[in-house]
Amino acid sequence: MKPSEIIDHPFGSAYAMRLGAKAPWLGHLPGPKTEAWRFTPLRTLASTPFVPASASNDVDVTELPRGLPLIAGAARLVLVNGAYRADLSDREFGQGLTVSTAQEFASSARSPLALLNAAYAAAGISIDAAGAGLRPIHLISIGAAGAEPLAFHPRLRITVAPAASLTIIESHVGLPGQTYFSNPVTEIVLAEKASLRRYVSVAEDSEAFHLATTTISIAAGGSLEAFHLGLGGALVRQEISVRFEGRGAAARLNGAYALSGRAHHDFTTVMDHNVPDCHSSQVFKGVADGDSHGVFQGRIHVARDSQRSDARQLHKALFLSRGPQIDCKPELEIYADDVQCAHGAATGEIDHDHLFYLMSRGIDPATARSLLVEGFLTEAVIEVSVPDVQAHFIDAIRTWLKSREIARGRP
Amino acid sequence: MAATRETAAAVRDVEQYKYGFVTDIESDMAPLGLNEGIIRFISAKKGEPEWMLEWRLKAYRYWLTLTDEEPAWAKLKFPKIDFQASHYYAAPKQAPALTSLDEVDPKLLETYKKLGIPLLEQQILAGVAVDAVFDSVSVATTYKKKLQELGVIFAPFSEAVHKHPELVKKYLGSVVPYSDNFYATLNSAVFTDGSFVYIPKGLRCPMELSTYFRINERNTGQFERTLIIADEGSYVSYLEGCTAPQRDENQLHAAVVELVALDNAEIKYSTVQNWYPGDADGKGGIYNFVTKRGACRGKNSKIMWTQVETGSAITWKYPSCILQGDNSVGEFYSVAITNNRQQADTGTKMIHLGRNTRSKIISKGISAGHADNTYRGLVRIGVKADRARNYTQCDSLLIGSTCGAHTVPYIENRNPTALTEHEATTSKISEDQLFYCRQRGMSQEEAVSLIVNGFCRDVLQTLPMEFAVEAQKLVGISLEGSVG
Repeated sequence: MKPSEIIDHPFGSAYAMRLGAKAPWLGHLPGPKTEAWRFTPLRTLASTPFVPASASNDVDVTELPRGLPLIAGAARLVLVNGAYRADLSDREFGQGLTVSTAQEFASSARSPLALLNAAYAAAGISIDAAGAGLRPIHLISIGAAGAEPLAFHPRLRITVAPAASLTIIESHVGLPGQTYFSNPVTEIVLAEKASLRRYVSVAEDSEAFHLATTTISIAAGGSLEAFHLGLGGALVRQEISVRFEGRGAAARLNGAYALSGRAHHDFTTVMDHNVPDCHSSQVFKGVADGDSHGVFQGRIHVARDSQRSDARQLHKALFLSRGPQIDCKPELEIYADDVQCAHGAATGEIDHDHLFYLMSRGIDPATARSLLVEGFLTEAVIEVSVPDVQAHFIDAIRTWLKSREIARGRP
Repeated sequence: MAATRETAAAVRDVEQYKYGFVTDIESDMAPLGLNEGIIRFISAKKGEPEWMLEWRLKAYRYWLTLTDEEPAWAKLKFPKIDFQASHYYAAPKQAPALTSLDEVDPKLLETYKKLGIPLLEQQILAGVAVDAVFDSVSVATTYKKKLQELGVIFAPFSEAVHKHPELVKKYLGSVVPYSDNFYATLNSAVFTDGSFVYIPKGLRCPMELSTYFRINERNTGQFERTLIIADEGSYVSYLEGCTAPQRDENQLHAAVVELVALDNAEIKYSTVQNWYPGDADGKGGIYNFVTKRGACRGKNSKIMWTQVETGSAITWKYPSCILQGDNSVGEFYSVAITNNRQQADTGTKMIHLGRNTRSKIISKGISAGHADNTYRGLVRIGVKADRARNYTQCDSLLIGSTCGAHTVPYIENRNPTALTEHEATTSKISEDQLFYCRQRGMSQEEAVSLIVNGFCRDVLQTLPMEFAVEAQKLVGISLEGSVG
């Protein structure tokens, strides 16, 4: 990228200044010819005149939006437009948890969006966990634009010390108004035998952009359980890369999406079996209504000599109307022979037999459909092992289904 | 065995190259390089009408604009091809025949023996002067006559251009347009020959058509062009290639195959590809960059691709179906075996446009040695393809820890009433299965061959009988030396 192009870049000249010497190896925003972004065009994003969050002070968020989950005993951490808000957050996190704001740290993510974050991010937040019996953390990121479209780039690092275990819940929400662009980068490092449960819910404003990049590295014997829910936003991408760095590590990465209107949601996962004897499983389910667009891209990579790797992946999506598009690209890249790897992908509509079964028992068609959709998504949500979170996610799906029925005039 | 006989041509060609091609440039060969003059030269050599030349030139001029658009997305590694370093035309010549099998490379003979090829055919394959008793020409003429009576047109492409210009004009480039992709465009500009098939309305072609019948046009060269049209209600089964190893010094092969199936027509296209794969260190070998596509234009039409890919250093090939007609059916069955340093990136595209269209993809990839084997496929369901149905199954088998097996499917669905299903697995040959076979007295190689054949069964059984038997043996032979 030439310097002049950076100045002309939608993100403006501040971007260029911060990038400094690194600029030459940065690309533009990925276009439709970039394989990793073929299903998720960024035209609208690139043509929106965003201003950096730091330059916009005209919105004052003084309390948390309603509808956020209450997680018993969780310590709250609040970001507004990507900046840490001490007044809305808990001060005490309990023993073993160190939360520091105003951190500068590097991320291993090298995608154009992650680099954009690196160039633009305000101070990062670092969460270091050690020991057992830690309080869960509830991180809330609120997008609130004022008179102008706003871009912000939250930056988060989570490290879990050997044998420690942490639970973190993330809620990404937005206030109605002008559009905003949230571009979070999360770097997670799990030490030996460390375990992390991470539950992410993305329910941004229907006009908002949310492009999240998460990289997770897991050392020997470590384990990850993650669930990502995608319920809203004009353009949402949750990109999650997991890399095993030591033997005997395991990851369960699951997710669900429910789309309506013109929503676009993209799950992109990379499961990198870099060492032998690791297990991974992925279950992603989605439903698409209106003119929405659902995308799932999942790559499983098994490196040379990563013997006895066990990797599974499943993506299933349901059409709820005539308009949506669902694109799917599950990918296997295997360089070791003693492995068990499989992926499956299916798209279709609600099974008429199932519908008939429910209707023959006196259930009206709309309710029957809702029940089936809920059941379909719940199959993924039951992978969440924290009951409070599971219940909240199921509630969120029910609320989504209700709003859909109301939108169709079927209260 | 029709298919094997065709190989005679290929094997003989090698001899031809050895003795004639390199040392002595004859007048029947185009000069090195590619330019408009060469295209005109090829066209003039073939005595082509003006419209054909125009079409070639149009393709060539378009190709020039593509210089930076050589496909790079496949999981393949090879040095950049210098397109100016090839000859784009060489007239078919008679090979200096050997006098007996004793002069043939014993390794080659061993392979023939394993494939179970009769002695007589071995001689032809190896380029030994053929006994008068075995007059292949007369056999061919008998068949040709019969086909003619039925109204089947089965001719070299260059002949069809002269005799059936209306059909060629109508269908050439209608499935794979000259602007389709880098290699197809190159082929459109410089293709030397190929097959043309037209099956008239309502006819079920009584025999399997194989390129072997075209006795006069054996050296179709590296840029082959095939066009098959099945008119309403007709059926044809077409065989391409052969199980015996084919040697060819042409590094680059860029063929184009177009199939058109009209209402209620069915085309079955079977390929066994066993070009020279290079030596164990990956030196030499054919680059096989093929664009194959069939259009199910008519209602209830059906196109079925079956391929057994064991040869070539590099395979880049995606036989596809465009399912335009309502109720049309596309099927793709593939076995791709890579050993040593071979690389294969192959798969299919199923484009569902019509209602009630159905497609089925069964792909079996086997990777051994230091080889890489990729399945790459697209299933696209258009907005109007109501009740379309796709089922895809891709299985990969890894033999040894130094090879790679990859699966890259794309599934794009725009129609809620459509159902797509994709499954893929990767595994190795189970120790239990091996042990079981060994325990019953089979050698390691026999056991592997048996197990791999079982793994490929769904595909191999869709091959025409004569191919299937040889293909089974070929599977075993291709994996020789891969199990320690």
